[in-house]
Amino acid sequence: MSDIKTEAPSRGEMLKRLRETHAVSVERTQVLFRAQKQMQQAICQFIRETPKTVPEIAAEIGKPSHEVLWFVASLKKYGIVVEAGMCGDYPLYQRAKEAQA
Amino acid sequence: MDNLHVDTLVVGGGIAGMQAALDLADQGFQVALVEREPSIGGKMITLSKVFPTLDCCSCITTPKMSAVAHHPNIHLLTYCELQSIEETGSGFHAAIVQKPRYVDARKCTGCRECEYACPVTVPSPFDRGLGAYRAIRVPFSTAVPQKAVLDMENCILCGKCEKECPAGAVDFTQQPEPFEIETTTIIAASGFELTPLNAKKEYGGGKLRNVVDPLMMERFLAPTGPYGRVLRPGDGKEPTSIAYVQCAGSRDQTLGVEYCSRVCCMYAVKQAMLISGALPMADITIYYMDIRTFGKGYEQFYQNAKAMGVEFVRGKVAAIREDGEQNPVIKVELTEEGRIVERTFDLVILSLGMTPAPGSNGTTSTSLSASLGLPLGTDKFIAIPAPNANPCASARPGIFVTGTAMGPMDIVDSIVTASSAASAASAYIREHQKEAVYA
Ligand SMILES: Cc1cc2nc3c(=O)[nH]c(=O)nc-3n(C[C@H](O)[C@H](O)[C@H](O)COP(=O)(O)OP(=O)(O)OC[C@H]3O[C@@H](n4cnc5c(N)ncnc54)[C@H](O)[C@@H]3O)c2cc1C
Ligand code: SF4
Ligand code: SF4
Repeated sequence: MSDIKTEAPSRGEMLKRLRETHAVSVERTQVLFRAQKQMQQAICQFIRETPKTVPEIAAEIGKPSHEVLWFVASLKKYGIVVEAGMCGDYPLYQRAKEAQA
Repeated sequence: MDNLHVDTLVVGGGIAGMQAALDLADQGFQVALVEREPSIGGKMITLSKVFPTLDCCSCITTPKMSAVAHHPNIHLLTYCELQSIEETGSGFHAAIVQKPRYVDARKCTGCRECEYACPVTVPSPFDRGLGAYRAIRVPFSTAVPQKAVLDMENCILCGKCEKECPAGAVDFTQQPEPFEIETTTIIAASGFELTPLNAKKEYGGGKLRNVVDPLMMERFLAPTGPYGRVLRPGDGKEPTSIAYVQCAGSRDQTLGVEYCSRVCCMYAVKQAMLISGALPMADITIYYMDIRTFGKGYEQFYQNAKAMGVEFVRGKVAAIREDGEQNPVIKVELTEEGRIVERTFDLVILSLGMTPAPGSNGTTSTSLSASLGLPLGTDKFIAIPAPNANPCASARPGIFVTGTAMGPMDIVDSIVTASSAASAASAYIREHQKEAVYA
């Protein structure tokens, strides 16, 4: 048995190691994150003044409607977007700030 | 992580594993419950309401989850992977790894400040990918434990969560931590998975946005679901015509699933009734070969659905395609009339069957049955050699099986087999203790 004690790596060292070992996933996620940010901004911009349905948002920003719905659902979950009535069979969505104003 | 010495190791924290753990712990036995996900609850906590009573599922499951977490005789070990099991003279030796949460569970209060601060949004498996959460999150609102977990594969290491956490709980220095459990008995409660949505090319091969699996429908019907209401995932339309395709993943040789999954008829009938409540104007049609209402009160439940106006049509669905407006078009052979017709719906649910939990089909190294050295039945679920004499005893003395780890079953039967496995384990432990005293 050796008596030598190995010191636990510091937080800084661990972060450096994580950045190295997860370089590929960090880079992939950064690309994804930038695309997500653009999409979220485009959606929020379009529904700032007037509530819109998912197909209306999809047509405006040129993205598939299922993707738009996924983003709208996530923005709604985190309180950034709210439901604002119905238009036929489709719920309308609006930016939370403007809807509450 | 300290090593443990217990009477029973329960693997899997769904309803079956939780019930078995509670039954044994209430009798004074020491139990370790190992769950690979960050929360216990299994599939049941994702359901909306349960047949045949239509009770709120969360209202039944959450108190059980909480009882497990607070029981003085249960060591709850979430986000842990069982690595290997070895037989010792007096029982079993299990090697387990605690996966890093990158959050100090002792400090975390579940406040979700980190989750709100995190900029990366990822699909949530709790909502079958149709809802979202962040790279760091409390897995769902009723998760037990209410602790955050950071998903390193989707993290950009921006440090926002660490900065926002009021408890200083985010911990990037965490590493996988191996530990060991000595136990007299084991209860396998690893549960089930649905047959894949993309298994049948004739039904769109998983590519049709408005053809969904039944657990997705459970989430649409749950108040905490991804949309907070029933919408179709293709474009957010509230559906007005909905179809169920029965036996879409069971009794099908081409899928290698020749058995009946038992619960599909009942969950389809249940969901149809719940949809009638949520969307009173919707037309709901169930295409079936035969309806199997096997349990107490189940036939009456089916008759109630018929009386509510749910349309039951005997027919074999040959194919599903999509029209230009993302509407699924079903081609069905009406077996009683001998005709083939096409009908268009807003939303179609494939009543998929049950297969063993991933990894338990004996093909991978992470297989629970392989780590436990348990033979499988022809259906690939864990074999029960003498089902009439010992309905929960596996082929290895001291290892018992419960719930859907042994085959398709509903919640009632999962609970019955859990209590049965706990009772068999308890008798085995007492016998063992006696032998140890007289040895
Ligand atoms: C759409 C749908 C609706 C349903 N509705 C109803 C209903 O209304 N009423 C009813 O009675 N039944 C219903 N059922 C059936 C019900 O879901 C099951 O009977 C029940 O959930 C089975 O519980 P379980 O504990 O056996 O499995 P699971 O719920 O699958 O739990 C297994 C647990 O073990 C964990 N696990 C797996 N492998 C390992 C491992 N190697 N190490 C550690 N942990 C592991 C899993 O993560 C999981 O938490 C429904 C099923 C479906 C598909
Ligand atoms: S890690 Fe911190 S911020 Fe996140 S839930 Fe726990 S205590 Fe709250
Ligand atoms: S460090 Fe990772 S988990 Fe934390 S906020 Fe940034 S992306 Fe999210």
